[in-house]
Amino acid sequence: MSEFLTYLVNGLAVGCGIALIASGLVAIHRVTGVVNFAQGTFAVIAGLSASWLLGAGLPHGAAELAAVLIAAAAGLLTGLVAIGRRGTAPQSSLIITLGVAVLAYAVEIVAWGDQPRSFPGLPGSVTLPGGAEIQRHHLLVVAATAATFVLLTLFFERTYPGKALSACASNPYAARVIGIDVTRMGLLAFLLGGLLGGLAGVLVTPLRPISFDTDVLLMVNGFAAAVFGALRRPGLALAGALLLGVAETLAAGYGYAAYQTEIALGFMLVVMVVQASRRATIHEEAV
Amino acid sequence: MKRALPGVLAGAVTLALPAFLDDSALAVYIFLGLAAMVTVGVSLLMGYAGQVSLGQGAFYAVGAYTAGLLTVQGGPPLAGLLAAPVAAAAFALVVGVPLLRLRGHHLAFATLATQLILLSLAGQLEFTGGDIGLQGIPQFSAGSFEVGGAAGYAYLTWAGLALVMLVTRNVIASRAGRGLRALATSETAAASSGVPVGRYKLAVFSLSAAFAGLAGGIYAFYVGYVAPGSFPVLLSVEYIVMAVVGGLGTVWGAVAGAAVITLLVQVLNVVGTLPGMPSYAPGVLSYAVYALVLIVVVLFLPRGLVPSVAGRLPARRGRSRPRAARPDPDLRT
Repeated sequence: MSEFLTYLVNGLAVGCGIALIASGLVAIHRVTGVVNFAQGTFAVIAGLSASWLLGAGLPHGAAELAAVLIAAAAGLLTGLVAIGRRGTAPQSSLIITLGVAVLAYAVEIVAWGDQPRSFPGLPGSVTLPGGAEIQRHHLLVVAATAATFVLLTLFFERTYPGKALSACASNPYAARVIGIDVTRMGLLAFLLGGLLGGLAGVLVTPLRPISFDTDVLLMVNGFAAAVFGALRRPGLALAGALLLGVAETLAAGYGYAAYQTEIALGFMLVVMVVQASRRATIHEEAV
Repeated sequence: MKRALPGVLAGAVTLALPAFLDDSALAVYIFLGLAAMVTVGVSLLMGYAGQVSLGQGAFYAVGAYTAGLLTVQGGPPLAGLLAAPVAAAAFALVVGVPLLRLRGHHLAFATLATQLILLSLAGQLEFTGGDIGLQGIPQFSAGSFEVGGAAGYAYLTWAGLALVMLVTRNVIASRAGRGLRALATSETAAASSGVPVGRYKLAVFSLSAAFAGLAGGIYAFYVGYVAPGSFPVLLSVEYIVMAVVGGLGTVWGAVAGAAVITLLVQVLNVVGTLPGMPSYAPGVLSYAVYALVLIVVVLFLPRGLVPSVAGRLPARRGRSRPRAARPDPDLRT
């Protein structure tokens, strides 16, 4: 039982990392209609640069913060390339972000080498009353994610830029009519996506080492979770991510570690196919 | 006759080239042909039917493993080569039934997921040799005729490519090809005009998988071993890059795209391995070139190289210019 509890919390921590990536995907897709293939890349960039900054002597906290800002800058750059040119169709933008993700490989290898890197997270562990031992860093990941989601909700519902973003998401044409610059809001969404991806990278890297090509796995997991919320609803994406994280960790804990990928991807495929079979083609083509 | 001239010329050059190339150049030539074979399928799928597949590498892998498994067990290589496209098409047919309900980025991720699952399984299962893969695949032979040197594989590859291009050309020119173009613009409209949308999508998905499978089969015989590491996700991305660069929905564009990218990467490889370059240079350069070429082409040459270049040439065949010059009869009334 205590074993189960440990796995559960580990799984929630992994799920939180996925949720942050998924929420970045959702934020970008809602506003711009683009599925950002470089979302995992932001996490990788943040993870690698945090480990580099720590190695260069920056204290904990400052290094992570700087790494998240670097990832946010990467997000903004990706947005500029993907949607900065007027009239780029979302499908083309998807292919461009694919290009950005591959370009990032080259940059990352030159900057940080091609070996996996990691850095120590919050040390120590706490013992729950039931005897289950839980690493503090896992708790930190869960707490940070919860705080991020609360802040995100406040941002979208209480601030002007947040409301403008929501307006673009629900009807870009109407948003433009009332004077919201849709392209600029798209760039803001990419910035937000970079920020969220960076946060995920900084939090997850101490759990499992990260290398330049980890982005595919992060991205696919994030997409699987985001698909759970039909790429539009952050709350459902969070639920999907937690479910995914717990399922993967339980599978790994009880001896099916080798089949982690299949579980995550199979889950995503089933969800997508079920969703697709419940939507009419004509509606989807009209959107 | 005039229209066939470029094709005949290309064929003659293709046939003559292997005689002048040494073994390392022949390897590039063969990989170019294999990439072109897959890219023609991607171009047909993306350009005509409007379906994005990020998992074409999976079908390539299925073809390679099929050919490898059959011949390592002692089966005749010819059967292995014939089974490769059939197995890939059958696999595409099975996964296509649920997956082709998806469209756009959903389909892209679903096919990517298919490839990841397949690779992960191939790395774990006993009979595929796990992460080490299949070793000791025999040379390709048919009856008493054995393909020994690289030149033989070059002819085999380019014969396969010719077959693939011929099939694609005929599909495009047929009634089914028009149906595909219709469903790429709007599935609803196509369905209401009597195009069997689901069946056509599945058929073209399987056809493109068969092309990839054939290329994979030849690859397995030429290289002699297959492992999960031979088919990374980046491979599928490469095919997209080649198809987009050459021009989606054109047969020659796919070949041109494959040629441009393969040769470019080859040149950069040479540059990257020059003395004094860091050890990571070849990898970095090829990643950078894939990415930059893809981004620049999508942004500034969205129709791809071949259609853009062809559009700039003077209209010799008198097909495009008169049509543009003459006012539309419907508008005059």
